[in-house]
Amino acid sequence: MVLHDLVDHYRRDDSPIHRLPTGLKFTAALAVVAIAIAVPLPEGWFWLGLLTAFLMTAAGVSRLPPSFLARRLLLLEPFVIGAAVLALFRPHGLSVFMSLLARSTLCLLAMILLSATTPFASLLGTIRKIGVPEILVSVLALMYRYLFVMIDEADRMRKARSSRTFKAGRARSWESSAGVIGQLFVRSAGRAERVCGAMRARGWR
Amino acid sequence: MHIPDGFIDAKTAIAAAALSAAGVGLALRQARRHMPRKNVPLMGLAAAFIFAAQMLNFPVGAGTSGHLIGAVLASVLLGPAAAVIVMTAVLSVQCLLFADGGVSALGANIFNMAVMGSIGGYGIYAAVHRFCGGARGRLLAAAFASWCSTVLASICCAGELACSGTVPWGAGFPAMAGVHMVIGLGEALITAMVIAAVDRSGFQTRENDQAVPAGHYGEILTFGPLIALGLALFVSPFASPWPDGLEKVAAMLGFEHKAAAQPVLASPFADYRIPGVTSAPAATAFAGAVGTVVVFLLSLLLARTLSPVSAERRPAAQG
Amino acid sequence: MIPAIEVRDLRFSYHDEKAALHGVSFSIQEGESVALVGPNGAGKSTLLQHLNGLLPEKFGPNPAVAIFGRPVSTESLDETHRKVGFLFQESDDQLFCPTVHEDVAFGPQQFGHGEAEISRIVRDSLGKVGLQGFDDRIPHHLSAGEKQRVCLAGILACEPSILVLDEPTSDLDPRSKRGLIALLKSLSVTKVIASHDLELVVQLCPRTILLDAGHAVADGPTIRLLADEALMLEHGLEKPHSLQHGHPHGNTSSNPNLFT
Repeated sequence: MVLHDLVDHYRRDDSPIHRLPTGLKFTAALAVVAIAIAVPLPEGWFWLGLLTAFLMTAAGVSRLPPSFLARRLLLLEPFVIGAAVLALFRPHGLSVFMSLLARSTLCLLAMILLSATTPFASLLGTIRKIGVPEILVSVLALMYRYLFVMIDEADRMRKARSSRTFKAGRARSWESSAGVIGQLFVRSAGRAERVCGAMRARGWR
Repeated sequence: MHIPDGFIDAKTAIAAAALSAAGVGLALRQARRHMPRKNVPLMGLAAAFIFAAQMLNFPVGAGTSGHLIGAVLASVLLGPAAAVIVMTAVLSVQCLLFADGGVSALGANIFNMAVMGSIGGYGIYAAVHRFCGGARGRLLAAAFASWCSTVLASICCAGELACSGTVPWGAGFPAMAGVHMVIGLGEALITAMVIAAVDRSGFQTRENDQAVPAGHYGEILTFGPLIALGLALFVSPFASPWPDGLEKVAAMLGFEHKAAAQPVLASPFADYRIPGVTSAPAATAFAGAVGTVVVFLLSLLLARTLSPVSAERRPAAQG
Repeated sequence: MIPAIEVRDLRFSYHDEKAALHGVSFSIQEGESVALVGPNGAGKSTLLQHLNGLLPEKFGPNPAVAIFGRPVSTESLDETHRKVGFLFQESDDQLFCPTVHEDVAFGPQQFGHGEAEISRIVRDSLGKVGLQGFDDRIPHHLSAGEKQRVCLAGILACEPSILVLDEPTSDLDPRSKRGLIALLKSLSVTKVIASHDLELVVQLCPRTILLDAGHAVADGPTIRLLADEALMLEHGLEKPHSLQHGHPHGNTSSNPNLFT
């Protein structure tokens, strides 16, 4: 599935960036985002240029294929542009539009680099350390564990349904997708029961 | 509706982060005190479920397709506090794993979609379901609440963008609210269809077949002040003649000074008001009210289509 | 001698359905390997879940199950979870942590071991199942056989004295199945295995309990029970191939004469 490629491929590669402690990478990414959104703009272009150079260097050292980074960026850029277009409806619209685009693209690149070089599990460890409540971390960990299991399950169910559907009208396809979602929920609640049993069996209360 | 990085300025980001932290904190406190421990795996699985459900496409026509957001679906299936936690997890993973929605805007996104979407949506669901009981009333309430929740979240989003000086209210509000009044129709349809499918499977949701259980009003009430504060900060400055809340707070905390140094980011809002929108707030309000009534009637129609057997089910539910 | 597992007149029904177990009794000595066979819906999984306190949800005044002489009740639940390791039917349900290491470490963490102790236990347990160095792997990317082994490692990490296994081979290809059987054979703890896979039963368990419709229909030496074609057919099972006369895999360990 497309999602798997986009997310999991390069997390476990090896490079100086991959080997950096997760906490450090996380802080660095947050710092880049903070600077990128906070510098005042006509004067701050120099800083944005500096950040770009920094991220480009990091990307180079990380040995992530440029095509992969470009693909991830392009996938998300439409949302940014879509929102930024609204800014054109104001005085100096174009300069605001450009600055929004520059800031968001920089932040996107920072977050893509972070997520592509860091296993999500160790990111979870970091957010646990900075004091995010235990229940939320557990929910996130379980969610991440069953995310792809569930997506595959939804995909199988959708295929099974469409292989039995002969009229491919729009109403039919809505009904079928809603049916898949309903069934998916019932299954995930059942799985939650069993997971809970497995957790209790190993001493969790 | 996921706001990317760069669209929210520091003061708005901090205000939204504080509000959503308070909201998620309240939800977590509810979870620790009142939920059985086994709800932790259930919320984890439900978060994965919402994420997977969001990936299923619903064809709209002309090559475009929509998808579920799921805030009201989650709160109807799991209860409002659990829904806040589930939606927060979904938004966090989308941000950290897929870079969908900015980190600096995570607070705002959580406020709009997790807190506002789930609690606000559930409040409307509960109120409507109180008057229209039974399986059919449940679907009607869920459909209508989903639409309202989507529109509410988008209005908050427009408010935050305007507070940040990114997109003027005069352009952002009609665009966001208008688009989401349409998207909300899809959300309402999908949510009602999914709940009907879950009910058909015989699965017992937390409050299947009874009107809203008393405990949930308590849950909604605890979140009430938070939601009101959010609306007062992000939306009321533009929608009413009141002084702008966030600017006041920012001035008190000393952000104002910094904001003034960034003319591009935070200039006075009055500049961008499009004549015709502000000059006719009554017309806007009227259009909104008509839209809401129309959607309510559509929800009624939908509930009748999806649940033709409600008359038979009601006595059974009471027994 | 105190039996490892003592079940006396165990009755159970799910919420408002008809009873799943109608008074099952047996006892298992320490070190025994016992198979639980029977058709679908016989109550095997329900019975197994009673052995480590996952069922019933509320304990009555006279618990029907005792582990090493101690009745399983709300007070003894912790101890029961420690003593009885449970391998579930579907490994995806049991591998609930984001990485293999965290999953194997889950049990020891709940039991309050220290950091260094936990890493030692994890290393040992992964070693026992032949998956050294799998610590950082993501469960979703493992094969079915590897998943099942990680599950087993997660249970071994709790250092149980009794292993309860529910359909351990249902998802496995023949090679992974052979590997798992060899692995289970090498563990000297008390084992209770529910399975439809009668070849596995023949190879691992000298004793078999046959369950049907909530009753323990038969309890005795595996070879004698499984070779009884009439009994097998009556309860929806089949006599395994290795017990057919002259079967090439009918090795000495499954020679009927050894048990009679």
